[in-house]
Amino acid sequence: MYSSLVRLQNTFGFFTTVAFVVALLISASDFLSPRTPTVNVLKTTQLQTVKGRADYYSSKKEEYAIIKFTLDADLSSLFTWNTKQVFAYVTAEWPSAQNNNATNQAVIWDTIITAPSSDHLGNFSPSKLKRLRKSANGKGIDPSRGKLQLKNQRLKYPLTHPTGRLANTEDVQLKLHYNVQPWVGFLSWNQVQDWGKWKALKNGLSKKFTLPAIKVKEQAKKKTTRA
Amino acid sequence: MLSALGNPRQAAAQLMNFGLILSTAFMMWKGLSVISDSPSPIVVVLSGSMEPAFQRGDLLLLWNRNLFTETSVGEVVVYNVRDKDIPIVHRVISKFGTGPTAKLLTKGDNNDSDDTKLYAPGQNYLVREDIIGRSVVGYMPFIGYVTIMLSEHPWMKTVMLGIMGLVVVLQRE
Repeated sequence: MYSSLVRLQNTFGFFTTVAFVVALLISASDFLSPRTPTVNVLKTTQLQTVKGRADYYSSKKEEYAIIKFTLDADLSSLFTWNTKQVFAYVTAEWPSAQNNNATNQAVIWDTIITAPSSDHLGNFSPSKLKRLRKSANGKGIDPSRGKLQLKNQRLKYPLTHPTGRLANTEDVQLKLHYNVQPWVGFLSWNQVQDWGKWKALKNGLSKKFTLPAIKVKEQAKKKTTRA
Repeated sequence: MLSALGNPRQAAAQLMNFGLILSTAFMMWKGLSVISDSPSPIVVVLSGSMEPAFQRGDLLLLWNRNLFTETSVGEVVVYNVRDKDIPIVHRVISKFGTGPTAKLLTKGDNNDSDDTKLYAPGQNYLVREDIIGRSVVGYMPFIGYVTIMLSEHPWMKTVMLGIMGLVVVLQRE
């Protein structure tokens, strides 16, 4: 019964059990560290609607929203020893015109905030990696990276709608979200309610706004070309 | 093994044992599939498009039920492109509408542009049924690398089968 194969199997079995228990304990430790993300400012600074094409080859003209926004948020409490990265993103959300229950959500800007321990995994340029390493100053956890300060930030992704119509859309709101990816364990997102030590993200919504009509100047130009 | 040839009872027992191991593994896989409502509840990350969140070779545990909420923007989903059987792990970046017909657009965190170019011709958005894992609930690093190695270097399969065969032959019990 006690062949070397059985011994090897037992050792490996014990190893996996221990590894699993340690992983479970580490992921459970997340619940002990408080999360108090706050948003100080989230507002739009410029709104515009224009007509354009998805790419050079598409013949369909669609309406695109151009939004600039200012964001001041503090996500530093999300960085613990088990945080691999925090993915922060801002969405534009608006109800559908026909059906009030249907919603539209689109990410307009996002960023990957790596913990110093996962800098080497990111797809960064050597100069940025160097800067990140320097800013961390040898620390494994660097909560100051969770401070987001954006001024008149442009859209990262074009904002349009499958119908191609976006001008005069009402009740559009910007919303800040985050997704915490741990080294081990479960992924978590921003919450609406408090769970124990994890507080909900308050103030994460901007004021409702209406996207403007397409500029008259452009419409006038069109009429002349058609005539 | 050689002695077992002379003893049909022992050979049959060994065969049964082997069958038991295979069927247990199959049952566990299918059981997990039923619980998570996903045809493939565990997937291996094949590309670096979600780095640094997920590396090549990470093993992901999927969940595919809409119990309280439905798939929403920011979730990491696993989908199959229409008529192709390659699972892709990306993040949902826009959602238009609600319910099973909501139009979803995905993008890899590490990619510069969204997945419109990855989809099948004429497919501009995903719908709920394209998604085989609505949310990545947990993951284990590196373990899946074994399967990547095996599929990229076929000679390893031969070596592994050889070692297993050798163990079976040399085993005394």
